[in-house]
Amino acid sequence: MSPSPRPELVADGYNSSSRPRWAQLATTADHKEIGQILICAALGFLFIAGIELVLMRLQLLTPENTFLSPVGFNRMLSLYGATSVFLFAIPFALGFFYYVAPLQIGARGTALPRLGQTGLALYVAGATVLYAGFLFTPSEAGVNPLAPLSEVAFLSNNGVDAWATGTGLATLGFVFLAINLVATLRVMRAPGMAWRRVPVFAWAATVSSWLLIVIGPVLLAALTMLMIDRNYDGIFFADGSGGAPLLWQHLSWIFFTGTYMLLLIFAFGAIAEIVSTFSRKPLFNRPVTMASLAAIAVIGTLAWMQNMLTAPMGIGWKYYAMAMSLALVVPFGLVIFNLISTLVGGTLRMRAPVLFALGAISAISIGLAAELCHSLVAAAWHLKNTTDATAATHFALIGAAVLAGFAALYYWFPKMTGRTMGESLGRISFWTIMTGLLLGFVPLFFAGDKEGQVVDAYKYFDNGALTTYNVIASIGVLILFLGVLLTILNAIFSRANGPAAGHDPWAGDTLEWFTLSPPEPHNFDVLPDVRSARPLRDIREAIGHRTRRSEQAAARESQPVA
Amino acid sequence: MAPHSPGTDQIDTLLWIGFVAAVILVIAVNAALLYAVRRFRSERGATPRQLSSGRGLQFRVGALLTGFATLLFILAVVLTDNARETPTTGEAGLASAKSEPLTIKATGQQWLWRYDYPNGAFSYYKLVVPADTAVQLELLSTDVVHTWNVDELAPKADAVPGKTHKVVFSADEPGVFEGNSATLSGQAYASMRTEVEAVSPDKYEEFVETQKSEIEEAQDRVVGLIENGEVP
Repeated sequence: MSPSPRPELVADGYNSSSRPRWAQLATTADHKEIGQILICAALGFLFIAGIELVLMRLQLLTPENTFLSPVGFNRMLSLYGATSVFLFAIPFALGFFYYVAPLQIGARGTALPRLGQTGLALYVAGATVLYAGFLFTPSEAGVNPLAPLSEVAFLSNNGVDAWATGTGLATLGFVFLAINLVATLRVMRAPGMAWRRVPVFAWAATVSSWLLIVIGPVLLAALTMLMIDRNYDGIFFADGSGGAPLLWQHLSWIFFTGTYMLLLIFAFGAIAEIVSTFSRKPLFNRPVTMASLAAIAVIGTLAWMQNMLTAPMGIGWKYYAMAMSLALVVPFGLVIFNLISTLVGGTLRMRAPVLFALGAISAISIGLAAELCHSLVAAAWHLKNTTDATAATHFALIGAAVLAGFAALYYWFPKMTGRTMGESLGRISFWTIMTGLLLGFVPLFFAGDKEGQVVDAYKYFDNGALTTYNVIASIGVLILFLGVLLTILNAIFSRANGPAAGHDPWAGDTLEWFTLSPPEPHNFDVLPDVRSARPLRDIREAIGHRTRRSEQAAARESQPVA
Repeated sequence: MAPHSPGTDQIDTLLWIGFVAAVILVIAVNAALLYAVRRFRSERGATPRQLSSGRGLQFRVGALLTGFATLLFILAVVLTDNARETPTTGEAGLASAKSEPLTIKATGQQWLWRYDYPNGAFSYYKLVVPADTAVQLELLSTDVVHTWNVDELAPKADAVPGKTHKVVFSADEPGVFEGNSATLSGQAYASMRTEVEAVSPDKYEEFVETQKSEIEEAQDRVVGLIENGEVP
């Protein structure tokens, strides 16, 4: 590659190309490398989480099955929860934010590259601890290890300690990455890029990062208290003697509810970019959409007690949680309305990223609507902790992290690698995932609501309908897993063998398409003055004008002089 | 779910309201999505039409959504308050529970429910209550968080160690109602089930009396064995 001019030399965090590849990856502080490592690791853990979910569904294939032991099932459940949230969903979203957002704002790097590098290291350490724990005794305390079950009196092996250490290290890493993103997006925007011109995905990165900076330390505090309880005779979550088991629920649900909102904000940010690029239209009412994303972060996290509607608390707190959850109808509704309005009247090109983005909106709508029922206090008294809740959460979060995440993957893959992912394999993968998602989780709505099947249970007792629902769900999850596998394989093969994409394969409007694919370490040689929210469209129009003018001039000159 | 208590009737109504609201939202979003995608196909090759993103439109959509959420909130508060009301004991109910509900202590422990009746009798797994009678359960836990869940009779409610959680219901007719605990509580959580048998007040009185005398008899025998030195 020919040496390119570097008008601004930023030495911190760049790698010398003379070092071996593994040493480069181990020491890099470049946001693009770190983003890609996060995305690759997240896809690996998605595969593992998929295997864990399939194993649990195999156990639930028939009533009173003995495929997994009760303890084995609880371990699988705990691992699945930690893997899918801490090792797949959050790093997947953060990976895209970390890779794309600095490019979108025209930054030549990040503000605090070594902090981000430490964040990655902490995430890797967390994943290592969790899976090293897996080799010995994984946690048996479930997806959210409610105290006092997670206390040493009831689970005395070191599984919960490994869970708390692993998720804690990873969460601290996410907070570091988020701090760097907030700083970068605050101070390193290109000339002319006011907040009102910042791409929606970069705005989503800012909102999500602020959210992580708020909720991350809450979980870290809870984990620290749990570790003190378990190892140093603490009584934070013990009953009597001044402890409060409900305190764990409050602290952990603040984090998990915030994470739920973070993933949806990520999804809507990515979908907004994709829908606007592929229908060749600006996002319908950007300011309202951006404000709605911020509102979702705030109101959504304040609704954490929506998860505690059956807990012994005053009814006023439950009405408050319901008010917050129902208030979310407005920002979610406005965002979805604006995304769909962006499509109307556009010239949509139905490529794989759009397909995944539209599928994500559809899946998220089902998940959020079901979650709405769970917010109505008395309805929650029936629905809470049934498989209806499992289905609602999975529709929303598979929609956000898997479908919208894959949309982002298909969309930004050409930027990361210079190659496009296989289109037809992408379509097959999409329809497989959608079929699997519907088959795998719609029956759980019925099993939970009609038959009262409870969550987290390693077995259920025979009753004709329940068996049918569970068999369909197990088959569906298997199909879903195959669909996910197809996209992962697609990414692996396309990395080296995909068709060359060029620098701007989708005719995007934001600055990441202004640079090379893959970008040079310093991202941009030169930067345009940003004068609107669609800087690349401005450039294309200016070039178009100039070309037309020079062609007209050339045509005039070539006329024979009479 | 077939509701068998005044409270669960209200819950069932709210579930239907929630279900209808959810279906409306899902259909609205997906129909709009299909409409938007269908339109582009007929206009392929056309230049994109730029819609004006008028403030008024956003305001109207926002107001519509706010109205929708407010309506749901009001309905949910009314029905939830109704569902929380202590039911009245009917004519066919237990005479002593006419003014105050019959209070039974339900204690969750890994992995069994224990019920303590007012007369000192207790039973494990199975709760016997008089039909058409206001019953108040006081949920407690001796170890981890459990959720008492017999959804035909009463709302789900958590038994949290150190806290008392009250649940009221009144079984409208004699019958047997089953339920699983609904919060992961360890290895045998899936088998932590319970059963509520609603019987006539006479049968209830008979049950608690028999239970009490049998327990006392068993206790006397154990005390006797210990005094005789047969049990160390």
